[in-house]
This record gives sequence, structure tokens and C-alpha cells, in this order.
Amino acid sequence: MNQDTLQKNQVDAIILTRRKAKEIRYCFYTLLFLLVIWSIKITIIDDTDWDRIGNIGSIFRSMARFFPPDLSLIKYLFKPTVETFMMAFLGTIIAVILSLPVVWLGARNITPGSSMTYGIGRLIMTLSRSIHEVVWALLFVSAVGLGAFPGIMAVAMRSIGFISKVTAEAVEDIDPRPLEAIRAVGGSQFQVILFGIVPQILPVFIGNTIFQWDINIRRSAIMGLVGAGGLGLMLQRQLLMYNYGGVTTVVIAVLVLIGLGEVFSYYIRKAII
Amino acid sequence: MIVVKQDAMPSKTVSRKTWSRFKYPQSLIRFSIYLFILVFIGYSIAYMNIPLDRFLTMFGRLGKMIATRYYPPDISYALDKDYLRYVLETIQMAYLGALFGVLLSIPISVCASFNVTPNRKFVYPIGRFIIMFCRSIHEMIWAILFVIIIGFGMLPGVLALTMFCIGFAGKLFAEEVEAIKMGQIEAIRATGANFFQVILYGVFPQVKVMWTGIAIYTWDSAFRAATVLGYFGAGGMGWYLKQTIEQLDTLRVSAILLSIITLVIISEILSAWARNKIAKK
Amino acid sequence: MATLEVINLRVRYQRSGPEILKGVNFSLEPNDFLAVIGPSGAGKSTLIRCINRLVEPTSGEVLLNGINVTRLGQRELRKARRSMGMIFQEFNLVERMSVMDNVLSGRLGYTGTFRSLLRMYRKSEIQKALEILDKVGLSDFVDKRVDQLSGGQRQRVGIARAVIQDPKLLLVDEPTSSLDPKIARDIMGMIKKMSTEASIPAICNIHDVQLALEFSNRIIGLQDGHKKFDGPAASVNRNVLEEIYAFEVL
Repeated sequence: MNQDTLQKNQVDAIILTRRKAKEIRYCFYTLLFLLVIWSIKITIIDDTDWDRIGNIGSIFRSMARFFPPDLSLIKYLFKPTVETFMMAFLGTIIAVILSLPVVWLGARNITPGSSMTYGIGRLIMTLSRSIHEVVWALLFVSAVGLGAFPGIMAVAMRSIGFISKVTAEAVEDIDPRPLEAIRAVGGSQFQVILFGIVPQILPVFIGNTIFQWDINIRRSAIMGLVGAGGLGLMLQRQLLMYNYGGVTTVVIAVLVLIGLGEVFSYYIRKAII
Repeated sequence: MIVVKQDAMPSKTVSRKTWSRFKYPQSLIRFSIYLFILVFIGYSIAYMNIPLDRFLTMFGRLGKMIATRYYPPDISYALDKDYLRYVLETIQMAYLGALFGVLLSIPISVCASFNVTPNRKFVYPIGRFIIMFCRSIHEMIWAILFVIIIGFGMLPGVLALTMFCIGFAGKLFAEEVEAIKMGQIEAIRATGANFFQVILYGVFPQVKVMWTGIAIYTWDSAFRAATVLGYFGAGGMGWYLKQTIEQLDTLRVSAILLSIITLVIISEILSAWARNKIAKK
Repeated sequence: MATLEVINLRVRYQRSGPEILKGVNFSLEPNDFLAVIGPSGAGKSTLIRCINRLVEPTSGEVLLNGINVTRLGQRELRKARRSMGMIFQEFNLVERMSVMDNVLSGRLGYTGTFRSLLRMYRKSEIQKALEILDKVGLSDFVDKRVDQLSGGQRQRVGIARAVIQDPKLLLVDEPTSSLDPKIARDIMGMIKKMSTEASIPAICNIHDVQLALEFSNRIIGLQDGHKKFDGPAASVNRNVLEEIYAFEVL
């Protein structure tokens, strides 16, 4: 066996493994493709009421029912719009306040009781993020009745998870050296946290709070669909009256509100960070 | 021989007599903003007639209500064959919605990225607008709209999720594209490649890993939304939720809620694991 | 009475790990500027950190003006720490705060919880900060964020923070390792100046033997956790250095 044959065998072996890997990959992709086709069949083709849809024409006619937007509604929209904005605002603030203990529990380096409290912190974060705001709203509406209040709490509960998760991760990544210095100076545990940890995580914390506030505007807008205040109530009423022009108007109002929110958050971000 | 050197630092600085933390006008502006925020909070509470006294008792009431009316959950209901079929359909709905949404996001996000968009005057703003539009409208609103146009069932749900995913993934995709190193793009452009080749060989290899993580995150979010879409008629287990709530069948409601929470947590664990694997590669 | 007495100090980081300090004894007089030299891994940094218990000694005692630091509870330890000003190798400043706020943070041991929340320091403390900043030549940078400063400037903030504590002892851990040689000399000079002007004894951990001999009056040589030399800087010659560093001193 000379050198050339040896090399050729090695190259052949490589080609063989590559081809095998390729074949496996193709099998995988075909399987995936078949899954997609099957899913489409089950969900879309079987489940849809094709008779009701009719043809493309009737779809366009359905869409046309939303236009023109019912402009007479505009004067009734101011109060709900302001309410939605306030709901997002208060909800975010409550979320910020309630996130603080969750961050304390859910950050490996400052959690008080090792893995147990860390687990609780992480569990709260996961629950908050897993439960959809509509579900939270339903829960709170049955607890405190209709109105803006359950909507605010639902939005708050939903945001706690995100804010505390990102902040806890920032806390776990901090530079320990300033903390050492504050300890060396004779600082108490509180002062170590205030001067060592807080300045380091503040940009992340505030940035994500503003981000969540932005998202919470769109969440607050639909709280009314389950009775929890804001523009959603208007939306629901228009739907019940089959006034699709009105639905369009409310949706436009939501868009305008979100646009304003974006402008606001842009300027606030520039000012603070 | 040891020579002790004196400090040779020439001090040309002017010695200050006083110092105050409050600098005009920055401090004034900051305090006005804080004050305004506090006042706004108070105003909001009054405007919406929020019962502050209820606030403290609320959690107690919530706990009591859950303990009496929602416990023990009717698990057999959640394990019912028909329900499980709906659960499977919810998963499929989420999967399809995320798939279509992510696929559509790819070209849209490329157009919406300032650095590689084919046309900065028209295509870029349109791309940005599409993404913003899809993001701004809540997935529930999309669901309701599609239900009105198409009727009940899975199709409006898939479409609603697609719209949601375009907004969700589109924004994140575009952010990644805008963060790439332009050097590689310039090199490929210099070879005379056309727009598609530049994207394919310059952009995609750089963003591939991050995009996969984002796609998984998008699927996770789509799934969370999918579980509730049925409440508004767009297919999936949410429909059962609406039924049981309307019939005040609270034990079954809690069973459904539990199944929703369990599934979402499972999907969260799966997606976190998948994202970790991708990140390690 | 000696300002600092270290008696049979032993340190082990983990129960089964190696002993970093193996019974170190020395004392520090009120007008000493003591330099600790030795090869890397000798335990110099650990020794400095044991004095204010940033690292807990496994056994042995540290007496600061007669008070046994090693036996103190949490509250008394904080009080003891505020009488010891520490200067770090990597400055250990709070990056996003201003120079003034970093210097004032040296007074945290004397500031109550509520006041520290609002960063309400006393007027006398602010006055003192301004004076010290003038002495270290940073009067023009008072409100600048620390992450905008150069290495030498940051260490000067560190020096100011240590001095504003009105300490009885300066603990200095490799103050010049992160700095250019020229700046290093200036910084050592500044530390020495602060020490002599306010009559604060200092114990300084240095790996640059030249600087150590130049600025200190006493040298302690550490090797592998043992004290190999303890005497006046003038008496350090080539043989001593060879014994401490266990190789040919170039």
C-alpha cells in the first residue's frame, strides 16, 4: 500500500460520509415538507368553510365591508384612547415595581436562598411570559369585575416576566470589581447593591422597560375585547353591532396611538440613555 | 542608593470652592419629568376610577376565587380525545403560521434594512411600514379581522399568526441585518454580483445563526398566541376556553388554562434548548 | 503601638485546596510605607485582602490599632473597613458614575442607608472631596464620567476615594500594574505623597521591585506563602532578591 492509495482511500471515506450526511439531510427536509403538507391539509383545507368563502370575489367583498371607515365614531374615541394609553403606562409601572423582587430572587449571584429561591424567581418569570395577556385579563376580570383595572393588572403581570428576566441576566453578568471596592470602603449590603449593581444594570433595565411600554400599548388596546377597558371595548361594541366601518376606525385609532407611543419612546430613550 | 522622588505632577487645574449635584438646567428638566410622571400616574388613577382600596385585597380575592371555584381542575376534560385533537391542531396552526410568517419575513426584512435595501427611497420605507403595520395590530385583532372575512376555522388563525410573525420576526431579522459587517458585502459587490447574490452570499451567511435563534423564538411566541386565538373563533383550543367560560364551567376552565400553561412551558423549554444548541454551534 | 499586626496568618481558599498563606507574621509602624514583593502566586494579593477581610483568613489574627479585625461581626467589620483605604490594581471604580460620585463613595461607610439612597453627603465631605481632587490634579474632571478617563486618571480617582475615608491604614494592591511605566511612577509618587502628608501608614503590594525600593522604607518578601524577608528597603541587595525570587535577578 503506497502513499497514493492510502490518500485515495481517505478521500473516498470522506466523500462517503459527506454523501451519507447529505442523504440524511434530504430525508429530513422531505419529512419536514410532508409534515407541512399534512398540517396544511388538516388545518386549512379540511377545517375551512370553503362554501362560505365562495370565490375570490366574495373575499374582496368581505374586505370591502371594512371601508369606508365610520368617521362618526371619532368623537367617542378620545376617552378610550387616553384610557388605553394610561393602561399601558400604569401597567408598565406596576410591572417595574413588581419585577424588583423577582430580579432579586431570579439572579444567581444575589438570590438569598441558593437554588430554591432562584427556582421560584425563574418560575415566576416563566409563568408571567407564558400566560397570554388575554388569559391574564380573563383571570382578573373574574376576580375584580369589568373595567380598566383588570386590564392594567393583566398587562402588568405579562410584562413582569420579560423585564425581570432581562434584568436578572444583566445582574448575573456584572463586573464584580466595583462591588469589591464598595465593600472595602465599609459599605453595607444595601450600599453595595445601590452603588455596585444598580448603575451597571440601569441602562438595560430602563431600555427594556421602555420597550415593554411600547408593546403594552398594543396589549392594552385589546384588553377591552374581554371587558377590561380601553379601545378594546369600543372594538367589541362595533363588532357586536356588525359595524365594520367602525371596526376600521377603531383599528386606525390603535395605529395612531401606537405611532404616538413610538415617537414618545424614541425621545424618552434619547433623554435617559 | 535609593532616591525618593517627590511627586512631579504639575497642577495646572483651578481649585473649585463649591460643588452641587444639581446642575441647571439639566437637573431642573429631570425633576420636572419625574414630577410630571408622578402627577400623570395620579391623574390616570383618578381618570380611570381605579379602586385603590381593592388593589390590596385583590390578590387575596384572586387566591380565594382560584381555590374555591377553579380547583380541582377537571383534568379528564382536558384529556378528552376531541380536545386533544384541537390541541394538535393548535400546534399545527402555530407551526404553519410561524413558517409562513418567517419565510415571508426574510425578503421583507432584507428590504427593511437600511444597509442592504435595494432602494432607500421607496423599498426601505415600504418594508419598514409593512413590518410596523403587522406588529402594531395585535394578533387577536388580526384573528378577528380574518374571521370576519373568511369565517371561523384554522385558516384565519394561520393567517393571523402569519401577520404576527411577519411583524415579530421581521423587526428582529432587520435588526440583525443592520448589524452585519459591511466589508463582506462590499467585497461581493465588487465582484459584480447582482442584488440577490449579494444577499445570498454576503448577508445570509452572517445572519444565519442569529436568524435561526430568532425563528425559534418567533415560533415560541406564535404558539403562545395560537393557544388563545380560538377564543375569537380562529381555531385551536382557545375555542374550548370560550365555551367553558360562557357556560361558567369554571372547573373545566381551569383544566384548559392548565393545559395551555403546560404546553407553553413545554414549548418554552424546547425552544430554549434549541436556541442554546444553536448558540453553541 | 503598631498600627497593624499580622499574626500567623493562614489562608486556604477551599477546604481541600492548597494553602496560599502559610503563617505570615509582621507588624507595621505608624510611619511605615511597606512594600510587599515576591513572585506571582506568592500570595501578595491575598495578604492585602486578608487585612480588611475581603478574603477570609483560615486562621491567624489581624490587629488594627489593637482591634482584632478577624474576630469582628458584620457591623464592626464595616466600621473597621472604613478606617482602611484600599487602592486597587484595576481601579474598581463605578464606571457610569462621575469622578465626584466615585470619590464620595469612599464615605459610604460613614453614610446612613437613607442618605446614601439620595446620595446626600455632608457638606464637609463634599468640601474634602474637592480638596483631595485638587491635590490629585483632577479638579477639571469633577463631573466627568469615569469611563471617559485614562488609566492614570482613573487610578487618581481611586487614590482620592481611599484618602477621603480618613483612613488609619492604606491598603494598596498593585496600583501600577495596569498603567504605563511613566504614569506608574507618577502614581506611586502620588500615593507616597498622600501617605506622608496625612501620616497614614501604607502596605503596598508591588511586582516592580525598582518602584518598591524607590518609594518604600520597608520591604517584605513573600515566596510561596512564606515570609522570606522583612527589613528596611536599604538593606535589600541582590542576595535578598535572589532568595525571594529564587532565580538570577538580572
